[in-house]
Amino acid sequence: MLRIKDLRVSYGREQVLNGIDLEVKAGECLAVIGESGAGKTTLCLSIMRLVEGTSHGHIFLNGLDLLSLPEQSMREIRWRQVSMVFQNANSALNPVHTVLDQVMEPIVEHRLASRAEAQRRALQLLANVGLSPDRSSAYPHQLSGGEQQRVLIAMALANNPGLIILDEPVSSLDAASRAEIVALLKQIARDHTFVVVTHDLSTAARLADNIATMYAGRIVELGPAAEVLSRPRHPYTRALLRAYPNMTTVKDLQGIKGKMSRPVAGCAFHPRCTQAIGVCAEKTPPLVSSQGRYLACHRGGIITLLAIRNLSKSFGSFKAVRSVSLDIDAGETLALVGQSGSGKTTLAKTIMGLLQPDEGGVYLEGKRVTSRAKDFYRKVQMVFQNPGESLSHRLSVLELVREPLDVQGIGTREERDQRAKRTLEEVELPASGGFLESYPHQLSGGEMQRVAIARALVLNPSLLIADEPTSFLDPGVQAKILKLLLNLQERRGLSMLFITHDLSLARKVSDRMAVMLSGEIIEQGPSNRVVSSPVHPYTGSLVQTASALHSESEAGETVDQPGAEARSGMTIG
Amino acid sequence: MHVDLKKELTTSGRGRLGLAVFLLMVLIALFAPLLAGHDPVDQSRFAFQSPSLSHWLGTNHVGQDIWSQLVYGARTSLLVGLSVALLSTLLSALVGASAALIGGLYDSIIMRLVDALIVIPVLLVLILVAAYLQPSLWVLIILLSLLGWQGGARIVRAQALSLKERTHVSAARCFGGSRLYLIWRHILPDLSPILLVEFIYSMRRAVFMEAGLAFLGIADPNMVSWGMMMREALDFSYLNVWLWWLLPAGAALSLTIVSVTFVGYTLEPAMEPRLRGEVYA
Amino acid sequence: MFSRRNLVTYAIALLLVLAFNFLLPRMMPGDPLMAIYGEEALVQMTPELKANLVERFALDQPMWQQFGAYFGALFRGDLGYSYYYNAPAFEVILGRLPWTLLLVGLSLVLSTLLGIVLGIESGWRRGSKTDRSMLAGLMALNGFPDFFIGMVLLLVFGVTLGIFPLAGALTPYSGLSGGALLLDVLKHLALPLAALTLAHIAGAYLLTRNTMITVVKEPYMLTARAKGLSQRVMKYRHAGRNSMLPVITRTGLWLGRVVTGALFVEIVFSYPGLGYLAYEALLARDYPIIEGVLLVVALFVLVANFLADLSYPKLDPRVSYAR
Repeated sequence: MLRIKDLRVSYGREQVLNGIDLEVKAGECLAVIGESGAGKTTLCLSIMRLVEGTSHGHIFLNGLDLLSLPEQSMREIRWRQVSMVFQNANSALNPVHTVLDQVMEPIVEHRLASRAEAQRRALQLLANVGLSPDRSSAYPHQLSGGEQQRVLIAMALANNPGLIILDEPVSSLDAASRAEIVALLKQIARDHTFVVVTHDLSTAARLADNIATMYAGRIVELGPAAEVLSRPRHPYTRALLRAYPNMTTVKDLQGIKGKMSRPVAGCAFHPRCTQAIGVCAEKTPPLVSSQGRYLACHRGGIITLLAIRNLSKSFGSFKAVRSVSLDIDAGETLALVGQSGSGKTTLAKTIMGLLQPDEGGVYLEGKRVTSRAKDFYRKVQMVFQNPGESLSHRLSVLELVREPLDVQGIGTREERDQRAKRTLEEVELPASGGFLESYPHQLSGGEMQRVAIARALVLNPSLLIADEPTSFLDPGVQAKILKLLLNLQERRGLSMLFITHDLSLARKVSDRMAVMLSGEIIEQGPSNRVVSSPVHPYTGSLVQTASALHSESEAGETVDQPGAEARSGMTIG
Repeated sequence: MHVDLKKELTTSGRGRLGLAVFLLMVLIALFAPLLAGHDPVDQSRFAFQSPSLSHWLGTNHVGQDIWSQLVYGARTSLLVGLSVALLSTLLSALVGASAALIGGLYDSIIMRLVDALIVIPVLLVLILVAAYLQPSLWVLIILLSLLGWQGGARIVRAQALSLKERTHVSAARCFGGSRLYLIWRHILPDLSPILLVEFIYSMRRAVFMEAGLAFLGIADPNMVSWGMMMREALDFSYLNVWLWWLLPAGAALSLTIVSVTFVGYTLEPAMEPRLRGEVYA
Repeated sequence: MFSRRNLVTYAIALLLVLAFNFLLPRMMPGDPLMAIYGEEALVQMTPELKANLVERFALDQPMWQQFGAYFGALFRGDLGYSYYYNAPAFEVILGRLPWTLLLVGLSLVLSTLLGIVLGIESGWRRGSKTDRSMLAGLMALNGFPDFFIGMVLLLVFGVTLGIFPLAGALTPYSGLSGGALLLDVLKHLALPLAALTLAHIAGAYLLTRNTMITVVKEPYMLTARAKGLSQRVMKYRHAGRNSMLPVITRTGLWLGRVVTGALFVEIVFSYPGLGYLAYEALLARDYPIIEGVLLVVALFVLVANFLADLSYPKLDPRVSYAR
C-alpha cells in the first residue's frame, strides 16, 4: 500500500530525513517510535507532501509516486487516499468553524457528496467515534481534549481513505482519555492502514503490527511489534525501551546517555552507542534484513559480548555448575539470581579464569577464550562480594586503584596517577590529599566498595562482573552503590553481570535475568517478563518471597514505579 | 521584551527612508528663514505670479510668496506635531501608568473615561471648541493634546500592568525598593519603547489634525499652515495655479505624515501587536 | 486586548458630548444667547424673541436647571434654530443626513472589504514582491490626508479630465428621475467615495495582513492543506475568516474616523452632507448647526460602536464561550 524508498528531506541545510525505506501493507499498522527530533513528524508530513523543505526519493501510495505528482493531483489524493490525525488537536482545528463543518468539509470539497449527504455522513462519523450528538455543532474550544481528538479522528475518516497517518495521537491527553482513544483507534485499525508516530511505547505496543525505530532521520530497526519490544536488537531501540517510563519497567528509570546530535558522520547513533567500533564513525550502516527484522547497524545489532557455552564445573563429586549457557549483550545488565550454593560465584570465577572449567567454554566477542592474558582482563573485570577482603590492607587508596594500571603497564606513572584519580572521582570519592593516602581499614564499607569498583573500572572494561556487590553493606549504602553502578553503566555503556540472591534487587537493576538453581540455569528472559510471569515454579517462589520482603525492607528506599507490582496486562513484552 | 529600536530603524529600508525624510523636514523647519527668501505673510507682491527665479512657486491670490509659505508651513506642522506628541504622550504615560499602579476605583473610573473618549469622534469636538475659542497656535496645541491621549493611556496601562508582574520588579520589591524607585528604575525604562511609538503616532495624528483644522479655517492667522494653503488654493481650482500652489502644500503634508508613519510602523515590534491594533490600525 | 465596552461606557461618552455642547457656549464671556446663536442671529432678534429664548433655555436660572431645559429640548428633537438657514437646526441636519450616510456607509463597506481582501492576499504571500509593494503603497497612502486625496482626484478627474462633476450631489434643476437620477447620483458620488475609500483602506489592510501572517502559521492551516482543500478555500474560509475578525470588531471605531474624513471630503467636493453643512455653519458662525452636527454624528458613531461590540461574540465563537 505504502512504500517509501530512500526518502530524504531537508530544510535548508539541515537534513531531517536521511534515506527512509519503509513498507506498509494494506490493513497493517506500523508504529514509528523515536525521540522527539528524530524526524517522525517530518516523515508523516512527507507522506502527505506537506513538508516545507525539499524532498528526494520516492513515496509510492497504491503504486503512485507521490513526490512526482503535480500539486493539483496531490491535492486530490490528500484526504481521499491518505488522511492524517495531527498532534495537538486543539490547534489543529480551526477555532471559527464548528466541528461538524470541519468534518464534512473534505467530503464537500472533494465533491464526494452533496452538502446534505456530507452532513449526514459527518454526523454518523462523529457518532461512530463516540462524540455525543449534541456536541457536533460545538466549536473546537468548547470540547475537551479527548473530544477534540475524536473529532480529528472522525475528520480523518471522512473520505474513507485507505491510509491514515496518526501523529502522536494521544500524547496531549490525560491517562484516562488516552486509554479510550487508543481503544477507539484499535477498533478503527481493523479496516484501515495506519502509520502511527508516537513516543508513547504503550500506544505503539497496543496498536502496531510492526514497529520502526527512528533515529536522526533514519530507520534503525524495523520488525514485528511484539518482538521488537521484547527483544530489541538495535542498541538505540533498547535504550528507548529502557528509558521509557512504563508500568512494567522494572529497572530503575534510566535515560539514554548523551543527546541526539546531527549531522554525524557514519552511524548517527555511534556517539551514544555502547558498542561502537571504528567503522561506525565512518560509514552509515544500511538497513538490512537480518533474522526476521531490519537493522541498520554495522555490528548486526546488539552484539553478544560474552557467551558461555555448556560450561560445567565440579568439585569432586559436587557438580557446582552444570552445562550452563548464557549470553551477555553489550550494554546490558544481566542479573544472575539464585540462592547461595546455586553455583553463581563458581560461574563468575570460571569466567574470570580463577577456576578452570571441566567442560565447555567462554567466548568473548565471538572468540573462544583459551588463555586469559592481559587483554582479557582489560575487557572483563570483577567486583567481589566483600570489599574488606578484596582490597589489600597494605596498599593506600591511590595504590589500590592504580594497581591494575601498574600491572598492565599502561602509561607513565604520572598518567596512571591521573587516571586513578579520575576514576575515583567517577565513583564519587575524593581524589585528593588525605584520602588517597588512607588505607582500607580507615574507610567505611561503602567507601571500600567504591574503591573496589574504581579499581575494577580503571582499565575501562566492557564487562563488569559484580558478585553480590552490596551484600556486605547497610541498606542505605546499598542503595547508593546500586545507583552508582547504574550511573556508571549508563555513562560508560558497560555490560554487567550482576550476581545476587535478591530477586527484588535484580529486578531493579537488570534488563534480563537468569535464574540459577543447583548449578543450572532454569529460566532466563527479560526481567519484567521473568518477574511478572515466571515459568519455572522455583522462580515463582522467588518472586513471592521477594515481594513479601520488598514491602518490609525496601519501602521508601528508592523510587519505585507504583504499578510495578500490579503486573497489569499492559505488558509490552 | 527587549527590542533594539535603533536596529529596527536602521535595518528596515522603510524605516530609514522615513527617518531621513522626517529629519529633512525638521531641517527645513529649523532653517526656514534662510531657505524662504521672502516673508511668507508679506502681501506686497503681485498676485498669481507663475513660478520664476525670484518666486520659485509663484505667488498666491494676495501676493504672498508660495515657496516661503511652504517652508514656514513646515514650522507650524512640526511645531504642532512635536508639541502635541510630547504633551499627549506625557498625559498618556501619567494617566495610564497611574491607573495601572494605583488600581482599584481610580483605575476603573479612569478607564471608563478613556473608553468613552476613544469612541467619541474627537475632531468634531475640536471643531466645535475651535469655533468658539478661535484658538491661537498654543491653545490649539493644548486642545489637541487634551483630546489625544486616551488611546495611548490604555496601551501604557496594559503594558504597565504586565510590567508590574514581571519578576525583576518583584525582586526589586523584595530588596525593599520603594514605590517610586520601582517606577523609576524598573517600570519606566521598559515603558519607553511604547512611549516612543505612542509619541510618533501622536505626532502623526497632530500633524494631520492641524492641517485639517487649518483647512477648515480654524488656525492661528499669524501662522502659515499647509492646510490653510490648500484651502485657499482650492478656491482657485479653475486656474492652473494648483500645480505649484495646492500640490506642493499637499505633497509636503503627505510626505511628512508618510515619513512619520514609516518610522512608526518600523518601530511597532516594540509594542506587542495585540496591544496596538485597536488604536492605530 | 480588545475589551468590549458596555452600555455605561456609551452613556458616559454621550454625556461627555452633551456636556461639551451645553457648557461650551455658556462658559463663553458675554451674552450666552450670543454664544448659543451667534452674533448675526442676535442682531436680528426682537427683544420678545430674546426673552422667549432666555426662558426656554432657562438662561436666568442656575446651571442645573439650564441643563434640564437643554436636555428636555434635545429630547423633543429641538436642536435650536438656525438663523442662517432660517429653519430649525434639526430639520436642516436631517435634510443633509442621507448624503453623508450614503457616502460614509458605502465607503466604510468598500474600504473594509477591499482592505480585508488585499490584506488576505498580501499576508498569504508574505514577503513576495506583491506583498512588499502592496504594503509600502498602502502605508504611503495611509499618510495622505483624505482631503488631499480628494483634491487630487478632483483636480485630475474633475477639473483636468472633466469626467466627473466638480461639486454637489445632484445636477441642479435637471428634473431627472429613475435610472438617470441614480446614474447622476453615482456620478457625483464617485470621486468623494473614491477619495474616502482610498484614504481608509490601509487601516483594514494593515490589520488583516498582520493577523494573516500569524494565522497562516497556525496548525489548523496545515490541517486544511492536508484535507486537500483548494487554495481559495484555505485562503478565505480558513485563514481569512480568522484574519478578518479583528477588523470587523474595529469597524465601529473606524466609523468615527471615516465620518470625520467624510466631513473634509464633502467640503472639497461641496457635497451637501453634514460635513459641508458644518463647514458652512462654521463660516457663518451658526452655532446651533455645528452643535447639532456634532451631536448627530457622535450619536451615530456611538450606536455603531455599540452594535459592533454586540456583534463581536457572534463573529468569534471563542468569545461567546469565554463569557
